[in-house]
Order: sequence, then structure tokens, then C-alpha cells
Amino acid sequence: MSGLGEKVNELLFELGSHKIPGLPLTNYMFFLLIAFVLTLVFFLVASRRLSMVPKGIGNVAEMGLEFIRDNVVVDVMGPEGKGFLPFIGTIFFFILFNNLIGLIPGFKPGTGTMGTTVTWALVVFIVYNAIGIRKHGAWGYLKSFYPPGVVWPLAVFVMILELISHFIRPLTLSVRLFANMFAGHVILGIFSIFTVLLFQAPGVAKVMGLLPIAMQIVMYAFELFVAFIQAYVFAILTAVYIGGALHAGEH
Amino acid sequence: MIGSLSALGAGLAFGLGAIGPAIGIGMIGGKTIESMARQPEMAGRLQTTMFIALALAEAIALLGFVLAFVLMNVGAK
Repeated sequence: MSGLGEKVNELLFELGSHKIPGLPLTNYMFFLLIAFVLTLVFFLVASRRLSMVPKGIGNVAEMGLEFIRDNVVVDVMGPEGKGFLPFIGTIFFFILFNNLIGLIPGFKPGTGTMGTTVTWALVVFIVYNAIGIRKHGAWGYLKSFYPPGVVWPLAVFVMILELISHFIRPLTLSVRLFANMFAGHVILGIFSIFTVLLFQAPGVAKVMGLLPIAMQIVMYAFELFVAFIQAYVFAILTAVYIGGALHAGEH
Repeated sequence: MIGSLSALGAGLAFGLGAIGPAIGIGMIGGKTIESMARQPEMAGRLQTTMFIALALAEAIALLGFVLAFVLMNVGAK
């Protein structure tokens, strides 16, 4: 098993974001663009011929959107949240397409770099705070952090904690998505390295190379699951945050 | 010396950081199954809540993961 360290370093460099020579893009921006075009084309094709009974790709798109509407938007925010379906649906499908193209060998998920996920988390942060301020007014929204019916030293302490947990939200939101996608690709890469090194090994050790291949198949299936779950979790947390801003001061 | 210590630190950061969330995720999953068995008609809403709690618990483990990478790069310099 010689050369493991170098190969791991090579993998980590490859998974880091670096410029594509000759283009004003980094490798992750390139795959983000692919996912963007893919999402656009998917929905343009799906909505080309609208009918009461959708067929083919339109059916898939409708199923996905209905899932978001019923299981994410209405479940978390109630019927008044239906107006936010376009925002949350866009987030869900864009992240999903990003995660899925990352599973094609040789491709990377646009979400596998911190830059992308921090941007989205900040967009979500600004949007839900803006919604809260528009609904309750700036002072009313700020006041909703102050718990009523508690002695004031404790209430101020709780308010500070609430504010801290508020500002930590974009951090956890972005780190969760980034780390899940990144870790998945590191694991798949490490098992490929094991496979290659074991097949290069002399004698009987070659047979052992089949084990990492089996593990890779299992991990690939798991990554497929994670791709869906992470898009779902990002969408549902966005819904929870917007719902919290809408009902600020009622808890 | 710094390099090998930082590798050790990175491993420990992720390994120890994963203990708590692992227990938490196990409890979340177990309790959700328990509640679903008790009230199958609530399964949909329980699942939604479960994923929210799961995501919050998981984020802590992933902070350890990111920290591990930061520590590894400290050693590389």
C-alpha cells in the first residue's frame, strides 16, 4: 500500500476548487452552470405542453413539485405558505440537480464547495428575515425575540441566545450541505484509491481489491440517497425558517 | 512532528465530534419509529419533523468533519 498519502493528497487537490485554464471559471462554477442549464431545460421541457393529465417528463416535474408543496411547504408553514412554493421549489430542484450531476463519474456537484452553499444560505437568511420584518415591522420582529412573561434578566439572556442561534443558522445550513457532498466524494475517491492500490499489489492481495469495489457500490447507492435527503433538508429548513419569521412572537 | 500531531488531532476531532450526534440521530430515529407504530396516521408529519431534527443533529458532526480538514491543512503548511 505504498503511495497512499500522495494519492489522497491528489484526490483532495482535485476536489478543491481551482481555476480551469483558459476559462474565467473555477471547476465548481463550471458544474454549477451545467446544473443550472439542466434545471432550466428540465422545467422548460416539462412545461412545454401543459395538460390536465401530464405525460413523461412533465409527470416527473409535477410529482416533484407536489411533493414539495404537500410535504414541505404546507406541512411546515400551513396553507398560507403556498406563496413561497416557487422560492422553496427552486432551491430544492437546483440543489437536487447539483447533487445528482456530482454522482456522474468525472463530474463534481456544484454544491461541493463552500462558496456555493454559503451564498445560498445567505440568500435564505436575508429572505426570511426580510419576510419577518415586512410582516411584523422592524421593531416588532426584533421584539419577537424577547420572550414575554419572564423576569427581565432571564429574558435578555434568552434573547441573546436566540439572536446567536439566528446568526448561526446560515453557517450550519451551508456547512451541512457542503460537508455532506464533499465527504461523500472523498469516501468514493478513497475507496477507488484502495481498489487501484490493491490491484497493483503483488500476488493474492489483488483479490482483496474486490472488497473496496463492493463497498463503493454500496456507498454510491447511499450517496444517491444523500443527494435527495440534503436537497430535501435544505428546502425544509428554509420552510421552517420562513414559517418561524411569519409566526414570530406567537411561540 | 506538527504534521503527525495535526493528523492525529484531525482524526480525534471528527471521531469524538461524531459520538454525540450519532447517539442523537439514533434516538431521533428510534423515537420516530416508536411514535409511528403508535400513531400510523401521523407518519407523514412525524417524518417531516424527524428530518428537521436529524439535520440539526447531523450539522454538529459535520462541523467536526470540516474542523478535521482545517486541522489537517495546519499540519501541511
